[in-house]
Formats: sequence, C-alpha cells, structure tokens
Amino acid sequence: MIAIAFILGFFLALTAETIPCGPFYALLHPDFVALLLLYWAISGSSELSFTIVWLIGLLQDMVLGDVLGAQAIAGVIMIYLLYTSLGRVRSLPSWEQLFFIFLLLLTHRLLVWLWQAWAGTITWHFSLLLGPLIGALLWPLFTLAFDYLRHALRPRHI
Amino acid sequence: MPALFFPRRYPPLLRVAVLIVLSVFVSVFSEKHPNIESVSLTMAYPVQWISMQEISFWQQANNYLQSRAALASENVRLRAELIRAQPKLLEADILRNENRQLLALLDSIPQPPGKVAVAQVIAQNFSPGSQLLVVNMGARAGIFVGQPVLATGGVAGQVVSVSPMSSEVALLSDLDSSIPVQPADSDTPLLVDGRGDIDSLAVPFQPRNTSLKVGDRLVTSGLGGRYPPGLNVGTISAVIHNGDQPFAQIAVRPAVRLGQLSTVLMLWDRPSPQPVVTP
Repeated sequence: MIAIAFILGFFLALTAETIPCGPFYALLHPDFVALLLLYWAISGSSELSFTIVWLIGLLQDMVLGDVLGAQAIAGVIMIYLLYTSLGRVRSLPSWEQLFFIFLLLLTHRLLVWLWQAWAGTITWHFSLLLGPLIGALLWPLFTLAFDYLRHALRPRHI
Repeated sequence: MPALFFPRRYPPLLRVAVLIVLSVFVSVFSEKHPNIESVSLTMAYPVQWISMQEISFWQQANNYLQSRAALASENVRLRAELIRAQPKLLEADILRNENRQLLALLDSIPQPPGKVAVAQVIAQNFSPGSQLLVVNMGARAGIFVGQPVLATGGVAGQVVSVSPMSSEVALLSDLDSSIPVQPADSDTPLLVDGRGDIDSLAVPFQPRNTSLKVGDRLVTSGLGGRYPPGLNVGTISAVIHNGDQPFAQIAVRPAVRLGQLSTVLMLWDRPSPQPVVTP
C-alpha cells in the first residue's frame, strides 16, 4: 500500500510540475518532486535508495524535456546532503527545519541550473529563487497532509 | 526500500560519485544523439497521459460548475465576436476569388491550401531560457520535426521533437528559437530571436540608425522555407539606441500570448511550388 502511495505520489508530483497553468504558475510553483523526495527521506521508515532517487530524477528530466541528468544528479546530491545531517534535522525545532529545507531546495535548484547552464538552455533570473522559497513555506502543510494520508493508508493488523 | 543495483555495504559517497559520473555520461550522450529526445518523450508519455486526464477532469468540473449567468454572458460575448468577424469573412471570400482570378491571369496552377489540425497542450516547461510545450499529437498524426505551430494571433513556435503520441514545441521565446521575418510594409529581411522571456522577443544585429520604429508589425518572410510567408509574428515594442552598444536593441511583443496557450494549430503547409524549367 505504501509502495503504491509512493509511486502514485511521484506521478502526481511530476504532472504538477508540467501542468499548463500559465507563466505565473511556472514562475512560482515549488519543485514538487524534490519536496516529495525530502518528505520520504525524512519521514520514511527505511532509507531511500540513491538509485531510485536518480531514476526518478531522470524521469523528471524526460518529462520536462530538458537536458538529461540535471534533476537526477541534483536529487541525489540533495538526498546525500540530507542523510549526512539527518539526525540533527529530525531534532531541530520546526521553523529551523524549514530553513534547512529551504537550503536543500535551493541547492537542488542551483545544481539543476548549473547543469542546464552548462548545456546552454537557461539564463539567470532572480525568479529561480522563488520556487525553493515557496516550497519551504509550504513544507509544514505538505508534511501534515502526507502524514495524514500515510496514517489513513497504514496496514491494519487485527 | 530495497537497494537497487548498489549493495548498501559501499559507502554513500562512493554511490553518489558513481551516479554523478553516470549522469555526466547520460547528459553528454543525449547531447550527442539528438534522436534520444524522441525516446525520452515516449518514456514521459504515461506521466503526460495522467496530466491529460487531470486537465480534462478539471475542464469537465469547470463546465459542470459554471453558473447560468456566466454562460449567458459568454454567449453574448461570443455572439458579438461573431458579428464583428462576419465582415472579415466576407472580405476573405472576396480576396480568395480575386486571388483565383489573378492566378488564372498569371497562368499559374492554383495550389492546394495548407492543412491545419487542432492540438491540445498537455504540458509546459517554462524556465528562464527554455519555453517548451508538449502537445497531444505525434508522429501517428503526421507531426514532423520543424513543423510550424500557430495559435490565435499568429505564429507560436515550431515542433522540435516527435514521439508516436506526443510532440514537443519550442515557443518563439525559447532561447534557441529564431524566425525569419520582415516588416509588414517592406521586404527587409530580419530575424526575430527568443530571449528566454515569455513576453518579449528581440531583433538582433540592427544598426543604431535602423529605420525600424515602435509599432511596426513583423510578419514571417518565408525565407528558409520553414514558415509560410505572411503570418503574424509580433509588434515592435521598444527600440533603444544605446551609445555603448554596437547594435540597436529592439524588443518585439509576440502576436500570440505565448504563456496562455491551451490549444494550438499544427500547420501542414502546401508543398512549395516546383520551379518551372523551360528548355
């Protein structure tokens, strides 16, 4: 059940990244796939496999139609950075955790930007910083909703 | 979660390093082989299919929930639009007849008109630099790479990669996009380049004493053979003569509202006329 929720969640996050809702949405929407990765890495019961993170990123690159490997490597490095300090993050008060999430999302966005700039498909614009900021602000809401969903979907042993 | 491919006994840093090397390899490989794009578009189709269902669900819900008053006001607006369009249709009929007579006078063979199909936008990827759409028609519907894509108002862009069920369109504002144009009232050949900004294009390499001015309308010139001539591209919105720059900086406002597209027109142009060789 949890596995199905995991896969379905990523499919929905991928569609949320590309759904045609105009330029304003494209400017402001957070990176839903990265948020979901962070959620599973922090709250999941077992460690995320780097290979799965990489494959999800590669699928995201294919869906976005950008240079392959950008989201894949950004996701892997973000999750690696998270795991090196996971114990501390879990014990942080929530607003400090929010700041940490912002830094991770920012790292992710900048790594994707670097990769795409290397391929020559992107220019710099300050609006690139808005996505991580909004993602971090949505983080508490996001964890609440997913904790509730996971609670509702948990296997019941009678 | 099981560890795929990598046993957990390797240190995490080593696993990350291997994946970094793999990413570099994949991206270099995809840059060297452009037809990998159609493969990745095919791989992305399941996600796009879900996205399509979401869009159609949303539209149906919207239709269902729209109030009577909103529908009535939309009806009034559409009727007014129809009345305004009526004289233009008449004018188009007259012009078509006149054109046929002129072609007959010139002894030239009347050409079959181009074909147009309506495609729905199922995904967008707007970042500062790349402005891409994915539409729900692909190679099975006869879409090909380089096909012109139109929308209400004029040219929207062109197809850059095709998979069996979907295809990717680069808008005019994409950083890699460039389109041959001319002013509507002269035949100076110009280019309009995308700058990665959704509502502003640029005309490159014009001297500082250029005769182009704000308000000039630009249409496709047909040079290069990709776009048929005479389609609206945009209007010049600013001409900056800056003493520091070697060229004038000319901004163009696109004729199509590129950010708001939900349906586009795929154009199959008429076959280009064969040059007549007389012995």
